[in-house]
Amino acid sequence: MTKILAVDDSASMRQMVSFTLQGAGYEVVEACDGQDAFDKAKRGGVDLVLSDVNMPVMDGIALIKNLRTLPDYKFTPILMLTTESAADKKSEGKAAGATGWIVKPFNPDQLLNTIKKVLG
Amino acid sequence: MKHSVTSQFQPSYPQPKAPKGFTHINRYWDKQQGVYAAKILPGQFYISTGGEMIVTVLGSCISACVRDRYRGIGGMNHFMLPVQRENLDPGVLSALSESARYGNWAMEYLINEILKNGGDKRHLEVKVFGGGKVLESMSQIDIGRKNIEFVHQFITNEGLSLAAEDVGGLFPRKVLYFPDTGSVKVRKLKTVRNDVVFEREQSYARTINNTPAQGDIELFD
Repeated sequence: MTKILAVDDSASMRQMVSFTLQGAGYEVVEACDGQDAFDKAKRGGVDLVLSDVNMPVMDGIALIKNLRTLPDYKFTPILMLTTESAADKKSEGKAAGATGWIVKPFNPDQLLNTIKKVLG
Repeated sequence: MKHSVTSQFQPSYPQPKAPKGFTHINRYWDKQQGVYAAKILPGQFYISTGGEMIVTVLGSCISACVRDRYRGIGGMNHFMLPVQRENLDPGVLSALSESARYGNWAMEYLINEILKNGGDKRHLEVKVFGGGKVLESMSQIDIGRKNIEFVHQFITNEGLSLAAEDVGGLFPRKVLYFPDTGSVKVRKLKTVRNDVVFEREQSYARTINNTPAQGDIELFD
């Protein structure tokens, strides 16, 4: 089963994302900030990371940078799911190694299509 | 001898700069309160780090006033849930429904901006206003009540603390919020004509009911 690491500091947002992903048959591991996500990612087996940007402890951009240093996560798709739509923030994400940028609010079907696309 | 005369009718200090992304908000000197103010309409939100007052007029919409109680950074949103099939039925609003998702975004946008400007999630104080039963054509649904239910559910879900509220009832409210101190002034609009409040909310309801809420998606090369 494809495993997705869903990272958001908002419990409501994690609940919404998990509900959408689990409904489509994905296994979901939730994390509440970048550090939590990084620790869980290191345990391995994650096929895709879907992460918020603005989070306490470690934000989404730092999470991408840290994940890209791990051999297992050099090519793993990392999608950012965020309220941030500013071009400079997007460029920052791209430079850090993000695969794509999804601005909230998300449409469940479009989110699932995008995930399918990047998973190949 | 010259005295410097300060008056609430004349600003004696420059208007704080609008935070990035908020230049479209109507900002002005409020003579009655003697303070710079920002007035938000349905669907908008504003945050202040510079001592401004945030003002709105609510019918069945909800405003959450959220601030970091130690740093004085805070803001206010103004939203209602779209009317979906699931909230035509009486009963508990599903936290995962399309309409609750819309509310989650309205709350998340506000909270994220506060955190981005230096607020700390652990220190957030929330006050909630509105949710009146004032949209006559929707009276069979009582969207105001759904809005109240939603915001209560959200606050519980997120482990936030509700410091005060004034919700429900039959009258629109004018809310003045001072994020630096957390103080709020609420006036029930019992005597004035409420056509403007009603029309604004109707027009906002049409927009959110007819436009699926969805942001851009970009895949990098």
